[in-house]
Amino acid sequence: MRRLALIATAAALCAGLAGFAALEDSADPPGPPAPLSAPGGGDRGGPPDMGTVITKLQTGLRQQPADASGWAQLGSAYVEQARLTVDPTLYPKSESALRRSLALQPQHNTAALTGMAGLANARHRFAQARTWADKAVADDPYAWAPYGALNDALTQLGDDPAAQDAVQHMLDLHPSTESFTRASYTLELHGHTAEAAQALQRALEDASSPADVAFCQHYLGELAFNTGHPQQALDHYRRALAADPTYTASLAGSARAEAALGQSDRAVTDYRTAIARVPQPQYVLEFGELLQSLGRDGEARTEYGVLRAEQKLFAANGVVDDLNLGQYQADHGDPELAVTLLTAEWNRRHNVLVADALGWAMHRAGRDAEALPLARQADRLGWRDALLRYHRGVIEQSLGDLAPARTDLAGALAANPHFSPLYAPDARTRLARLQGQR
Amino acid sequence: MTLRRKPARIGRRRSAALLLTLSTAVAGAALAGPGAGVGQASSHREAPLIASDPQVDNTDLYAFSSPDKSDTVTLVANWYPFQEPNGGPNFYPFATDAHYDINIDSQGTGTPDLTYRWTFRNEDRRGDKTFLYNNGVVNNLTDPTLLFRQHYTLQEIRTGHRPVTLVDDAIAAPSNVGKASMPDYGRLRSQATRRLPGGGQTVASQAADPFFLDLRIFDLLYGGNLSETGHNTLNGYNVNTLAIQVPKSALAYRGNATRNPVVGVWSSTERRTMQLSPGKSTPTGPYVQVSRLGNPLVNEAVVPAGLKNAFNALPPSQDHNQPKLVAKVLDPEVPKLVQAIYGIPAPATPRTDLQEIFLTGIAKATGGPLAVDLNSQLLNKDIDKRRFVPAEELRLNMSTPVTAKPNRLGVLGGDFQGFPNGRRMADDVVDIALQALEGATPGHLIQALAAGDGVNGPGRPYTGSFPYIALPFTNAVNQAG
Repeated sequence: MRRLALIATAAALCAGLAGFAALEDSADPPGPPAPLSAPGGGDRGGPPDMGTVITKLQTGLRQQPADASGWAQLGSAYVEQARLTVDPTLYPKSESALRRSLALQPQHNTAALTGMAGLANARHRFAQARTWADKAVADDPYAWAPYGALNDALTQLGDDPAAQDAVQHMLDLHPSTESFTRASYTLELHGHTAEAAQALQRALEDASSPADVAFCQHYLGELAFNTGHPQQALDHYRRALAADPTYTASLAGSARAEAALGQSDRAVTDYRTAIARVPQPQYVLEFGELLQSLGRDGEARTEYGVLRAEQKLFAANGVVDDLNLGQYQADHGDPELAVTLLTAEWNRRHNVLVADALGWAMHRAGRDAEALPLARQADRLGWRDALLRYHRGVIEQSLGDLAPARTDLAGALAANPHFSPLYAPDARTRLARLQGQR
Repeated sequence: MTLRRKPARIGRRRSAALLLTLSTAVAGAALAGPGAGVGQASSHREAPLIASDPQVDNTDLYAFSSPDKSDTVTLVANWYPFQEPNGGPNFYPFATDAHYDINIDSQGTGTPDLTYRWTFRNEDRRGDKTFLYNNGVVNNLTDPTLLFRQHYTLQEIRTGHRPVTLVDDAIAAPSNVGKASMPDYGRLRSQATRRLPGGGQTVASQAADPFFLDLRIFDLLYGGNLSETGHNTLNGYNVNTLAIQVPKSALAYRGNATRNPVVGVWSSTERRTMQLSPGKSTPTGPYVQVSRLGNPLVNEAVVPAGLKNAFNALPPSQDHNQPKLVAKVLDPEVPKLVQAIYGIPAPATPRTDLQEIFLTGIAKATGGPLAVDLNSQLLNKDIDKRRFVPAEELRLNMSTPVTAKPNRLGVLGGDFQGFPNGRRMADDVVDIALQALEGATPGHLIQALAAGDGVNGPGRPYTGSFPYIALPFTNAVNQAG
């Protein structure tokens, strides 16, 4: 029975994929997965969902294949849809549409240039994204969307002052959900958590599509969770799902919050549902770690197997993700490989997350002396992230810097006592041991 | 630039093989959706980047002498296009962090002498228990069954004076959530209509989108479509309307509509931004103009591609400093396209006639080719003509008598009370604009284009009294026959 289901699944997947074969032929964009519960749509009306937008654009382009603007919109809509449905096979389609737009209208095609920047960001090619966004900005200094793509790229590249400038430009040209959400992330990364929440509230006020409402509620939930308030986080995740039942990130978020609240069975169920809908590597990794923390090592290994398979599919669609792969390898695979992958990533970009991941991989590979400067780099913006602090504390402890280790491990637990089902208990154990060593 | 790995080209076969691996690994979990979802790392936060901001999207502006109250002018501006009627319990609120403005330039300087400004706040009594906007039939604006309503303040802002509050804490007519919940929407709109001190009235309400056109003509011209303009297949959708009717003296320079009958009008939307300056406990900033609208279709048919965002961000007083904009008015694209497609010769350039229509208003004093005194502020007797600048505005001569039987082609049809002398609900602006761009003059239409877009009226008739705009549609567009 199970085997049969498997074959059927694979067949369905391949059939689905066949639909992606050619941009021109595809009339049916991927719809979002069916909601588990349907509370009658979003909290607001407004623009149709991205799938509908894509269908309309495709119909229009069949009638008007020379419509450069339509191709640019379609290309950007694919990226947006990929963001919402986590489907990387949309990236090549996006690229075809955007390049077609640029071929039709090489001059003053800000929308297509911005689309290319957004696509490059989605594929984690941040230097390329910056180049495309710079072109778009030069083309039309009053266009605000390019600054969003530019801010995303610069944030990931670790050019923080320029990233902040870009988002301020965007805010000054067009205050909206798109700019407030980016402002929130910038504020959060700089440790201004309360202001980050205020920016998200502004983004929420201006959000008109259910997906955007869900995005804002979800990240309000993330802020709450990361500051040690799992119940508040759960409330936000539920509001996100009420606005958009297909917003799977909030289902995985709910699972994480439930695990923190000690509701393990519910957490496992929600993770399974979320992963069945959208097998995001992040959810899969979190779920594996939750299972491991519950002593269910065999099931955890299965999830890690899924993760490895996904990372191959990822690369096949032109996505570079050495960060994600490296983080996984450092904790659950081959730390030496992790160091190799993350060193490559670090050579590409000096982002605080990469600094943290490479430092941690160095530690796991037994190279603590090299790890510490990286862990300190990760702290350069003042981001209050418990996992980063935990990593630094462990590295300090390994080097025998016991006082800062105590401070950092205690700081991590103070920031968020539930930061990880695997590592928060470990932080407590280490701290107890260190306090015994006073 | 660092060297990057070339992405492997994905082939269908290879993907299938990978997916097979994946589904084997998942061991029975049903992967939903076509294509196995594989996303970005959590570290890369992907925020929305699609430029759709309907709450502040200003679709249309109308300005006309009120047919039933000829001593007043009615100004109507619409926002938030494509509202699906009966789309479930949907509500289409005005933004609460925005200024909704209708601006009046009575001196021809391109700056507002007077601004009517609406600001909104929410009254949300839904709590966490329900997402529904009403929990029973709503017969009156103040019924407790209406759980969500918007209140607004209307200010009159005159240069050099303190803002005057005309309406304090009024209630906007709600979005129509359906016939069962709101059996008599007309009654709600009447209750929401407020008298103004000094005469006149105002209302904030949902309405049937009165814009009408068949986009095929543009499709042919542009080899594209204008869906991004918010002017696509409009029939059956609703919009949010702000309407105000005021005595002509309120708008005229020095309050004298006899000596100074011409006003330029444009609507604009501003939204409050924020400053990222760290350490501030309230991240707020100044208000930023995000949209602007004077003559219909200018941003679509006249403003060049690389200038559309600038046009939305800048005030009309800056238009004459935009050489690219002026160049496009003098040498527009549309006639060239028409010549290429239909073989109708494009009029000789520079098109100083269009400069008159869009940037100065029509008057002998402008020195342009249209030797008629119609609707330029230069006709106002008391203004300082040295301060006059070309600026894109919808210009209305308030002294033009109301036409008993309006012609849909307005001035071109010999009806001088119609567009481009202000704009009435039934003026067929697409046909007029197309004819004007082709060089038509009153009584001399371009016959080859006489059929225009073939759509000669709105999907739902406008009404004979304020606010003139039709009540919102209630049938879902997708089911509308």
